[in-house]
Amino acid sequence: MNLNPVVYGVLFIFLAPVFGGLLAGIDRITSARMQSRVGPPLLQPFYDLGKLLQKDARQVNPIAEPLLIGHLGLMAATGAMLLGGTDLIFVAFVFALAALFLVLAAGSVNSPYSFAGAERELIVVLASEPFFILMLAAICKVTGESSYGGVLGSAVMVAPKLPGVLLAFMFVATIKLRKSPFDISTSHHAHQELVSGLTSDMSGRLLGYVEMAHWYESAILAAFVVLFFNWSVPLGLVAFAIAYGAEVLVDNSTSRAKWQLVLRSTWAVTLLLVGGNVLALFLIK
Amino acid sequence: MSFFSKSPWILHYDASSCNGCDIEVLACLTPLYDVERFGVINTGNPKHADILLITGSVNERNIDIIQNLYGQMPDPKVVVAVGACACSGGIFARAYNIQGGVDKVLPVDVYVPGCAARPESIIDGVVKGIEALEQKRKKIA
Amino acid sequence: MSSLIVFLVVFPLVVGGLLLGVRNGKLRNVIVVLAGLVVAGASVVTAVTFGNGNAIFFGLPNGLTLGQGLLAAEIAIGLFVVVVSIQHRRILAPILVLSQVAISVYLELSGKMPELDPGRLFWFDRLAMVMVLIIGIVGTLICIHSLGYMRDYHRSSPLIKGRRTVFFCLLFVFLGAMFGLVVSNYLPLMLIFWEMTTLCSFLLIGYTRTKETIGYAFNALNMNMLGGLGFSIAILLLVNGNQSLDLATLTSGPASAALLPALALLCLAGLTKAAQMPFSSWLLGAMYAPSPTSALLHSSTMVKAGVFLLLRLSPAIAGSNLGTLVAFVGMLTFLFVSLVGVTEQNTKKVLAYSTIGSLGLIVGCAGLGSPELIWVGVMIIIFHAVAKGLLFLVVGTIENRLYSKDMENFDTLLSRLPLVSALALTGIAGMFIAPFGVVVAKWTAIRAFLEVPGWQGAALLVIMAFGSSLTIFYWGKLLIKVLSMRSVSEYELSVEKRITRFEWLAEITLAVGVIGVAAFIGVISEQVVGPQALATFKGASQSFLHVEPVMLATMIVAMLFLPLLALWVSRQKHFDMSDFYAAGRPVTSTGVMGAALGGARTVTLRNYYLEGVVNGGLVFRAGTLVCGVLLAALLTVGMVAR
Repeated sequence: MNLNPVVYGVLFIFLAPVFGGLLAGIDRITSARMQSRVGPPLLQPFYDLGKLLQKDARQVNPIAEPLLIGHLGLMAATGAMLLGGTDLIFVAFVFALAALFLVLAAGSVNSPYSFAGAERELIVVLASEPFFILMLAAICKVTGESSYGGVLGSAVMVAPKLPGVLLAFMFVATIKLRKSPFDISTSHHAHQELVSGLTSDMSGRLLGYVEMAHWYESAILAAFVVLFFNWSVPLGLVAFAIAYGAEVLVDNSTSRAKWQLVLRSTWAVTLLLVGGNVLALFLIK
Repeated sequence: MSFFSKSPWILHYDASSCNGCDIEVLACLTPLYDVERFGVINTGNPKHADILLITGSVNERNIDIIQNLYGQMPDPKVVVAVGACACSGGIFARAYNIQGGVDKVLPVDVYVPGCAARPESIIDGVVKGIEALEQKRKKIA
Repeated sequence: MSSLIVFLVVFPLVVGGLLLGVRNGKLRNVIVVLAGLVVAGASVVTAVTFGNGNAIFFGLPNGLTLGQGLLAAEIAIGLFVVVVSIQHRRILAPILVLSQVAISVYLELSGKMPELDPGRLFWFDRLAMVMVLIIGIVGTLICIHSLGYMRDYHRSSPLIKGRRTVFFCLLFVFLGAMFGLVVSNYLPLMLIFWEMTTLCSFLLIGYTRTKETIGYAFNALNMNMLGGLGFSIAILLLVNGNQSLDLATLTSGPASAALLPALALLCLAGLTKAAQMPFSSWLLGAMYAPSPTSALLHSSTMVKAGVFLLLRLSPAIAGSNLGTLVAFVGMLTFLFVSLVGVTEQNTKKVLAYSTIGSLGLIVGCAGLGSPELIWVGVMIIIFHAVAKGLLFLVVGTIENRLYSKDMENFDTLLSRLPLVSALALTGIAGMFIAPFGVVVAKWTAIRAFLEVPGWQGAALLVIMAFGSSLTIFYWGKLLIKVLSMRSVSEYELSVEKRITRFEWLAEITLAVGVIGVAAFIGVISEQVVGPQALATFKGASQSFLHVEPVMLATMIVAMLFLPLLALWVSRQKHFDMSDFYAAGRPVTSTGVMGAALGGARTVTLRNYYLEGVVNGGLVFRAGTLVCGVLLAALLTVGMVAR
């Protein structure tokens, strides 16, 4: 299937929310089953989104909504550019920018919960950004390609050459998917320290934007995993499914990890596993 | 097509409850009753909630809080008073600090009797609350 | 052409001297504005005259010669420093300066100085043109800004004795010296201008004449003069080795082993001027000077002289141990100061750390040397000069209005000072959101580092990734503070109206400049920076800007988004704002909530400064140590083998 990359980019914009929503639904069902419950219907996240869009939105200040639209737009753009063939390292920067807009939207509210949530989300960005830059740079180096299509078409198999990076990815993804630690705030369910953290003062469609952006983010992370398994896209998706399952398990079993631990451990992991892997890349040529 | 019946989010507030009704509310979340099957999520945040589930009666201290929480909930919204105390003050109705049931302060849509109210009743009450929610949404739309 | 250059150098010096005698504020305003316009105009004319060609060399017009001028200037500088040091009882400064003077006198008397080619005193190419435009336009805007700023500065600090005649004189003298520095080809000539800028910096840092600032001023003087001494010794070594003192000749290609010691010392001079570790403390102390000083000397121009010299030296040192060591000093400085910046609460100091970091990136590029990296270095110079200059000016304005430099007091800026917020957001966006700002430079640098072989490439990539993420953190914090809102009183809204026209003029022009440079990056890259990179490293013609329209569109939207949002907010009279959640407690939109047992409590929100995770002081000292060791290696190993 060799379509113009731009087509993939556009397809991403429409299909990624569907993918992300279904993934969120599977997540909730799996979590419920792990807790001996039945869980909601598969399409529940879509029902939630529908309700949110129908609900009144309380604006605590006038700039939160534009910033959230910016966040959603940039997240969609990140994915579209990723699949659409834009330079991979540039995509890493846009990804960080998208995350930043969410931080700004939450931080603009003067509520302690929202503000603390924003600061902690900023720490998440700080913790994970070096990883994403290095990951994409390493993939570019290994394959000699600089676009998504290029890497997929490359004869070089990425995962065997970047085992350290792949392992570190698992670690970082746990954080990006908001599974752990518990005091990095997100809006998911009752295990938050800061009420609803970031989203404490977002209601109605504003919260809807955040949900959709999160679905896009899940899709982007799946696309990253596929990059590692560039010789077989189905294998990549299966790998992502396994990884995601592991994440859900982690979510249901670790409740005491805090943000200081996250920052230190992510950096340590990035430095050691990724730095080591990259060093090896440069030395063994 | 209305999604409110598929995704009713709850804010559970304990006004001055002995926690009996609260435990029963939380029991609804456990595997035995599992209200998440109906898309119900217990959020801790009024801005995300559709249904305000109140246990316990109103006293001087929590009048402001209850009104604030109700005020912060975006429309459409319903109030479900759970338990005898929330309905009318229960056995504490004559105490010096108790004003009475929740309806002294807020417009209540559903009364769930019981002391403590059973999970089945609570779920029933929430379902009736969802119907009321749909009604309100039709009025707004 | 040479008359234009001489005019550019001499005219500001004359104006500076004139301003020393002008006590009347209104007259001063007129002179500064007019002189500023003349200088800016002359810079533009010079750039246009040069056009778009290759480098040219020329001497003084009409058969003038330098004669003993340089020696006289050197001695004058020496005398001045000695007198000032005696006044304040300092010993290190006179030692440093007298050593320099001794070297100059020795060289003059011994007759060893090589025959000076009068037609190669000055070197003008695209890099010089870029610097001239920055000094001429950004510099004069800062001078104009100062007219308004200093008036309010002195009003809010009545205990500081006003010496505005001296202040403005120094600003103009500095401009003249900078012009001279960036066009000099003859090393002893450059040294004089170099030391003149050091003196201006010293006098301006010590402006308020408090015990503290005098200490900082002398710290700056000592470190910069150490660099100057290195410069001086380099000249001595070159003369003794019968080498040329012509910068263009020295740097036309990879340096022979004989040149390495002198080049290492010139690198030392560049590193001290650019406040790289271990010499960063002087720039941080300089933040106690009035904001225009910080904008002009310590972000837009003087510190750029250091990296300017290193960029000139790049072809000579690239590929050698010296070059690699220089590159790592720069990149490690970037990493360390970015980490310290995260823990800093004083906004000006955060801007200072960011400046040192950006300079570190340029140093890294210069040390490694390649067409792409030169492109990156010059791009950062352009963007940083405009955006950081704007930020320092804006922070200065805010500081005057809010009487605080603490970041924590900047919150709800969007409500209190909406137009100023729009300007601040433009500056911050220019620094790290702008496509064609430091972001694209960083992106190109990463691509270039991917090509660097061996462990060096891996190390540089890792440093870049971590450093870059750290900068996002502190810019993010600042953005959060600026973008928060609450309801404000009529009085608070009126504060913005009292900002002077001079400040608005300078800041708005610079903001337009930031956007303009971003929008025209394609032209700038193709016409100016690209050819300059290729001329420096004699490469084949290629395009450096691998940016597609989609990327361009995304980033321009991202960059303009925040300032436009702020502008929109400033236009609205009233917003319907609902309460934020405070655990059910009633709360006003000014942040006062009903507390648990009665009474009221104000909600205070404070950024994370990562105290539990990162110890700022420790990291700074660690960086100083590590880079100190590298510097020692630079001055020993770096001088020896290639």
